[in-house]
Amino acid sequence: MNISRRTFTAGMGALGAASVLGGTRKAFAQRADELNILCWEGYNTDDVLGPFREMHPDATVRAESGTSDPDMINKLRAGEVNVWDLINLNQPWARQRLMPEGLIKPLDKERFMPFFERMAPEFSNPPYPLAFSDDDELIGMPQRYGPFSFVVNTDKISRETAENEGWNIFLDPAMQGRYGVLTYDNWNLIHLSITAGINPFQPMDDAAKEKFREVATQIMGGATLKSADLVAMNTALINGEIDAYFTGGTYTASPARLDGFSNIRGITPASGPIDGKGGVAWIELTSLVNNPDPSPLAADFLEFVQQPEICKAVGFAEGTYNPVAQMGDPDVRALWNEEELDAIQWDSLEEEMARSAEYAVVADYDELMGIYTQARRA
Amino acid sequence: MDALQRRLGTLYAVPAVALLVLSFVAPLLVVAAFSTMPQGVFSLLHLPDFSAYGTLVTQGYWQSLLWSLFMAFAATVILFVISWPLAFGMAKVFKRFTLVLTIGVVLTLFVSENIRLFGWVLTLMKGGLIDGYLGAWFGGGLEGALYNVPVIIFGLVYVYFPFMLFPLAQGIAMVPDDARQAARDLGASRWQILTEIDLPLSAPGIVVGSLFTFVLATGALAEAKLLGGSAVIVMAAEVETAFTYGQDWPLGSALSMTLIAIVAVLAIFTIARIDLDSIMGRRG
Repeated sequence: MNISRRTFTAGMGALGAASVLGGTRKAFAQRADELNILCWEGYNTDDVLGPFREMHPDATVRAESGTSDPDMINKLRAGEVNVWDLINLNQPWARQRLMPEGLIKPLDKERFMPFFERMAPEFSNPPYPLAFSDDDELIGMPQRYGPFSFVVNTDKISRETAENEGWNIFLDPAMQGRYGVLTYDNWNLIHLSITAGINPFQPMDDAAKEKFREVATQIMGGATLKSADLVAMNTALINGEIDAYFTGGTYTASPARLDGFSNIRGITPASGPIDGKGGVAWIELTSLVNNPDPSPLAADFLEFVQQPEICKAVGFAEGTYNPVAQMGDPDVRALWNEEELDAIQWDSLEEEMARSAEYAVVADYDELMGIYTQARRA
Repeated sequence: MDALQRRLGTLYAVPAVALLVLSFVAPLLVVAAFSTMPQGVFSLLHLPDFSAYGTLVTQGYWQSLLWSLFMAFAATVILFVISWPLAFGMAKVFKRFTLVLTIGVVLTLFVSENIRLFGWVLTLMKGGLIDGYLGAWFGGGLEGALYNVPVIIFGLVYVYFPFMLFPLAQGIAMVPDDARQAARDLGASRWQILTEIDLPLSAPGIVVGSLFTFVLATGALAEAKLLGGSAVIVMAAEVETAFTYGQDWPLGSALSMTLIAIVAVLAIFTIARIDLDSIMGRRG
């Protein structure tokens, strides 16, 4: 067959048109053969996805791990709401950003409420309140969680001292140059506020903001090392470059602890300005993305990750190790051995959670972010 | 007939031009448009108010800009000084060994920049490779090699080395040996040959190499984060923060546009002064 340039061009045009038309047709079909998950590391491991793929051999199951909550939200905002079926991130972002902007949709309560009953007491009785929107829709399922304040080397600073002194240890002139700041920016805002003796989840007056600026400048200026890399922080803690790092918890300390460095410990201060609490905890929610062409596998997957073995795989994925809400169920809890429980500081988890406030959206986020970025530069 | 041919040529170029505009210019236009939006919005359907640029000035972002420009400048100067002898050797002296050197340098580009920088972190950190050996041999260690400005500049020099070396070698290769010999015959000193023959005649290579390294180093992020422990905050990090934790796309866009504008002006200004054709070997 002879192909002239003209027929070739016409053919290319037809091909282009076909792909556009094909796109619209696809939008009306249910994507039963595909599931795309956007998540924090853990849900994307073979231990979690493998068994699910075996249950659905004809489906393509893909998971991608994000590097920060806002980064993942940006993807949905930029139009990838058409791509993803499930998103897993920390609850304030789901409640305050994704739900109001219509980027996620509510879960079927009838199907998912029973799972709360088998969770740890703080999630089951009553069912974890922050998993619900203001109009009482179930917006996501909790699984991983943990206290998140700061981390010390207990050979240098004892757990008692750290808990009793709380955030003040970072303001001690003797600590100048002896600590790092794990630059999870939104967490730094929360922790700097608490260090300044201010509740970050309430609007601040000018005096409070000024105090925040003062503390932010001192903490950021006195840090030897500022990095968003938890491994760098743990390494500096282990080799003695620093004695503590500002912002951190079980999530960041657990990999070092599992490697045998049980002197690296997440600390929850005994008291503080948030209704008497000085610590903060994070809780992830996994939610259904408001995909115009939804995959029925999304809800199936959410149900699937409630199984004991899968709970363990999620909690003990590569990189970081975390408790899961489902450990309230003895069958799930039995899957963790002594060393693994020590890595996630199981011995003090309950009291630490009791001393931690629920992570929420920082009231004056934009303004504090501005002050923080300025302080960071100083 | 010629006119028809020309018009046909233009016509055939349309798809390629359209593709370029769509894939290269359009994203820039979107960023430019976003930079004019009111702060904290996530769509372009608002009236522009340019407030993000105001924030950029009032909130001290110029400090990050100056750090980025300063460190990029320092890295470019250092790279030029250390690359010149090597590039000269590659162009004029080493002969076959040049290929070995080229392959060696190019091979480093096969490994991700982050991994190479982590290698340096492990080498330089307290208790790391160098500190460990020094401690074992002499009892003294290498305190505080990481997390400061010099180590960031070192990182930039290390990462962007090939981008200076190869254009420089290309530029030096363009200097005719005859010119150098003639100068020598006429009594020029080594210094005069360098300043009056080698440097001016290899100027296109110097400019291209400097431009490459400076532009890339201005937008660099990983060196300041990994080696520098954010001892200073660079412009690229500010852009990242604004887009992610800041949730302020207009501010991130305004920061990007400022950086793009400065780099573009520098690039256009310098490129206008050299004859690119000559370095591409299309003389005459």
